[in-house]
Amino acid sequence: MRCATVKGASAVTLLEIQGLSVTIPSALGPVQAVRSIDLCIARGEIHGLIGESGCGKTMTGMALLGLTPAYAQVAARVIEFDGVDISNSAADLRGRRIALISQDPAAALNPVLTIGRQMDDVLRTHSSNSKAHRAATAVALLAATGLADAPQLMKRYPHQLSGGMQQRVVIAQALATGADFLIADEPTTALDVTVGAQVLALLRKLVVDRGLTVLMITHDMDVVAAVCDRATVLYAGLSVETGPASAILTHPRHPYAAALLAALPDAAPRGQRLAAIGGQIPPSTETISGCAFSPRCPAVMALCHTMSPPARGAGNHRWLCHLAQCAP
Amino acid sequence: MTAPLVEVHDLVVRYKSRGLFAAPFKPAVNGVTLSLPAGSTLGLVGESGSGKSSLLRALLRLVPVESGTISLGGEDWLAIDGPALRRARHSIGFVAQNPFLSLSPRLTIAQILAEPLLARGDKPGAEMKDRIALLLSRCGLPANFLPLRASELSGGQAQRVSIARALALSPRLLVLDEPTSALDVSVQAQILNLLLDLKADSGLSMLFVTHNLKVVAHLAEQLMVMRQGSVVEVGATERVMADPAQAYTRELIGFGRRR
Repeated sequence: MRCATVKGASAVTLLEIQGLSVTIPSALGPVQAVRSIDLCIARGEIHGLIGESGCGKTMTGMALLGLTPAYAQVAARVIEFDGVDISNSAADLRGRRIALISQDPAAALNPVLTIGRQMDDVLRTHSSNSKAHRAATAVALLAATGLADAPQLMKRYPHQLSGGMQQRVVIAQALATGADFLIADEPTTALDVTVGAQVLALLRKLVVDRGLTVLMITHDMDVVAAVCDRATVLYAGLSVETGPASAILTHPRHPYAAALLAALPDAAPRGQRLAAIGGQIPPSTETISGCAFSPRCPAVMALCHTMSPPARGAGNHRWLCHLAQCAP
Repeated sequence: MTAPLVEVHDLVVRYKSRGLFAAPFKPAVNGVTLSLPAGSTLGLVGESGSGKSSLLRALLRLVPVESGTISLGGEDWLAIDGPALRRARHSIGFVAQNPFLSLSPRLTIAQILAEPLLARGDKPGAEMKDRIALLLSRCGLPANFLPLRASELSGGQAQRVSIARALALSPRLLVLDEPTSALDVSVQAQILNLLLDLKADSGLSMLFVTHNLKVVAHLAEQLMVMRQGSVVEVGATERVMADPAQAYTRELIGFGRRR
């Protein structure tokens, strides 16, 4: 399986998803947390999954980890990891090929165990090496995430570490599983800007050095600009645009992607009103007719309300829109 | 240049260390001087531990000040105490980061907006109801939101309510602590637009505290960057954004998307 990359050439696909949906039954009727998401991630890339609250970005990550609630219905036309269908075995890959880096490192670490013990918990589960060997591996992994004086750190508790250091420990734990695909769910949101930038630089270095692949779930366009090779924009549980991160940031094609960028505070001169997006996302209990963005779209046409938008673009940049040309 | 509304001179805030013989903590705010002209906005930018929240708390008279002066509208703000302080507090409105934590889940929006008025001693009645509806509409929400509770609102709507509450007593200064950090980008734009409108309509003075330099640069005439209790850079927004004097400021500006 091949999929397009930034450079236009094809690369080996690590993850291919078509038509992923996650539906959760509720008293108000089925909640469509994810309606239909296509995702194609090449080996060795950092792929941004961009969206606002309620667009299904975290639920997509959970589906890939096999961590959706037991009563949720997960379906997909295609869901292949490294060429193998994982529609029934996503949970088996968790902690082996796929690992999660969550938003809040303080919540991801156990407050009453030392860093060394928590690293060893992971290593012991994944190898039959001797205790001394595991300890040496743990120190090496902590050092690889840029933590100074790793042997001392092994004796520390999470509360003795800063947020940035805690997130590096969580990344070291993810590496300790031997996973080559990391799902990073807003990994820098809980961190200071400069510390977040360092953690992103670390992820980039690990991708280069260790051949990792990263799915970067984020709402922050600065994160996309700083570290992502390609990105997919989600809206109301649908993947509405996918392409090289630089193309999406500078020439977005889907009106929602364009509106999201225009709403950023540096998109207008100081003191001028920003182009806020009117209205709200459709409730996830609602069935969408036509284009999901049509009630809020500045370029809406009559057929947008009734017909699903066609797929446009070619190669590595694709989007869903009735507009033949490009976003307003 | 109009007369300054807020003037802070050489302010030091230090928290008490525990234990009789424990070494004193380093000051959380270490000799900060600032001046906010009436009708203008100062953006206070800093990361965790920079002292921005301590400076804010000192301005709100929530923590004791070790040394230095604060004047508000020409008066010695630190000299006021007791019932006089209670009255004087009306001149500062405060908006917190998370509206769902700062709005009572138990009360309706109408009750939430009535609280500051009742605390001031206003009599409940038709006049107060009108005033509350006007406050809410100034912040972009129609009167049919009044019987709702915070849990029925979106993040952006809830933040509009907490801005309306902060404006209830017609303060001279609005202090905002990370008012958009908990919001989505498209909602953040709506709140920034609301603040721009309030600034233009009523000449509100604002102190906007955030870790996101780009957000506040959109509103503020002046920027002040703090690090480890001290001011590392201060100046007109255009100057700081175009030509930051400090490497640290450059780091904050340089992250992410280029325009």
